[in-house]
Amino acid sequence: MAQKLYIFGIGGTGSRVIKSLSMLLAAGCRLANGFDTVVPVIIDPDTGNGDLDRTKDILRLYQQIRNQVDHPDGFFAQEMKTIHELADHGAAINPDFFQFRLTGVDGNSFRKYIGFDELGNKRDPGEDDRHFIRLLWSEANLDADISVGFKGNPHMGSVVLNQFTASEDFRRFGQTFAPGDAVFIINSIFGGTGAAGFPLLLKNLRGNSDLPHRVHVKETPIGAITYLPYFSLNRQEEINSETFEEKAKIAIDYYNRTIISQNKVNALYLVGNKSNTNVINYAVGGKEQKNNAHFLELAGALAIMDFCRNTSLHGVSDGRAVNGTRVKEFGIENETETVGFGDLNLDDVKSLSGPLTKYRLFTEYLDKGLPRALGVSRWTRSNIRLVPRSNNSLLDKSYFNSVEYNLQVKAFNAYFSEWIRELGDNKPAFVPFREVTADTALNLVRGTTPKGNLSFRALDAENCRLIARDELRGSAERKHTTLVKLFGRSTEKVLSDKELIIR
Amino acid sequence: MTEFFAAMYETLFRVYHASYPEIFSTLYNFGGYMKLGGIFLLVPLVFWLLFYFLWRYPYGRFWHWLLWWLVSGGVVLVVTWFQARGAIFDSPNPALVDALADPESGYKVYAVTLPQRYALINTGLSLVAGFLYSLILKPFSKIQMHLPF
Repeated sequence: MAQKLYIFGIGGTGSRVIKSLSMLLAAGCRLANGFDTVVPVIIDPDTGNGDLDRTKDILRLYQQIRNQVDHPDGFFAQEMKTIHELADHGAAINPDFFQFRLTGVDGNSFRKYIGFDELGNKRDPGEDDRHFIRLLWSEANLDADISVGFKGNPHMGSVVLNQFTASEDFRRFGQTFAPGDAVFIINSIFGGTGAAGFPLLLKNLRGNSDLPHRVHVKETPIGAITYLPYFSLNRQEEINSETFEEKAKIAIDYYNRTIISQNKVNALYLVGNKSNTNVINYAVGGKEQKNNAHFLELAGALAIMDFCRNTSLHGVSDGRAVNGTRVKEFGIENETETVGFGDLNLDDVKSLSGPLTKYRLFTEYLDKGLPRALGVSRWTRSNIRLVPRSNNSLLDKSYFNSVEYNLQVKAFNAYFSEWIRELGDNKPAFVPFREVTADTALNLVRGTTPKGNLSFRALDAENCRLIARDELRGSAERKHTTLVKLFGRSTEKVLSDKELIIR
Repeated sequence: MTEFFAAMYETLFRVYHASYPEIFSTLYNFGGYMKLGGIFLLVPLVFWLLFYFLWRYPYGRFWHWLLWWLVSGGVVLVVTWFQARGAIFDSPNPALVDALADPESGYKVYAVTLPQRYALINTGLSLVAGFLYSLILKPFSKIQMHLPF
């Protein structure tokens, strides 16, 4: 039976973890235990947020590419759908479908959102209400523009986010939910949106009586990852990173009392970097908030995979985890500022090494190796004479010049390369790969010294051997079938021959 | 096969000369024609087997194919020349040896030109055979299937 994993990414951190997960899924990682469909849901009032836009674009591209691959079995193997698609059984791809819409936040101040000014202006009960509200929120809070998020104020976020459970999107989520499905929630504890959204969402999942299929939702396994502070800001203004740690302590205490000790989630992953030296540019939200990808977001994606691997431990009865909330922390084997595959836990290496190395080789090849082979190498030729028609490749110049290739595969791969680069620029840096040229392409894995010819030649030769296989030829409408399946296989063979994949 | 090759060289390519029958009877009786025929058939076959099934260079272009074709022809030229020269001048046939040793017979003057003629004929034949082999073998090749076209 088809099982879905709904992944709620709350706030900027939620978007960035979903981005990391998308990269892993594109590289061929799959969720275990029959979870065949991932349903990402981003909850963020800051609709113009740079991280959010980038993630939505990546998810759109993922879907577009996957929809053009016939039965993907390597790269892009994991199905990804939006709640909109599941509810309407439509095939339309729209990046906005990945996001839950919050009404009343666009261009609004918090004051306006809660109707502060409509409480009356005379000495009447309204005046008392206003005084009471001032006890809870400062003037700065009331004047804050909530269309860019809650600027590290969860007590504002908890009010605004409370509305999404009454939204059409949330109702559709309930409609599409089926027995066997599970939920994973991503949030950061030291900000505003994520810290407020997690308990709210959890409360509604475990007990919203208006939600369709509420019985299934209530009894579903729920995992969550909560981010402790892992970066600081270069300026301290409305958002002050010096308060992150204090906020995190308070929130953890709250989570401990209301979530962990109540067994509301089956697994809670805590990820953070206490001694972080990672300073990012100050931005309250909007387009400026576009943080570089961070290794810990990749760790978050691994947590999601770990959660799916352990579903047998995730029984739920009456909305509570039967085995209690399993709290897990993420760690690496070696304390270093430059993390490579060799510094990770063996299980994590096994999960990441093969898929990431293969996809990295794929993107590097298309960038640096293809110009030499295109129109020359047999696997890129569609005009070979005196051979059966099936021996002519679908991956000719016209394919690589096509709109679909350039606006989908090439665009997604640019995001992948940017993601890898950003992971390496952050602290701690995740640098599993070397920079390579066309002549040193197979020298790509840091910490290895492969022998023999290191150019793309072996990959081109393997592509030639595989290109005529029937299983690589998709229908005409699914244009990326051959490319995606071919490189899934050829990169595996070439990297295995050079012993560059850790198994 | 000897009949076939003998007819081909002697009749089709008009190498036969009635004044020097010992040369042609030696080539016929001592396996010379078989060896010459084997050279133009087998040398290009080996060359194209190597090209299509052992050469794993994935960036092969038409000029690679053309060069290989010419090299195989060149090898046939050289091998045939040595083979024909050996078959005639190192012949085990005493009659031919005597004839070649007799300056007045004219055998030696005529025989000296024969290795070149056989070499040129075999080169031409090997190029034709090579082209045909190429067309036959290329559909079975994984990497050089696109060559020559």
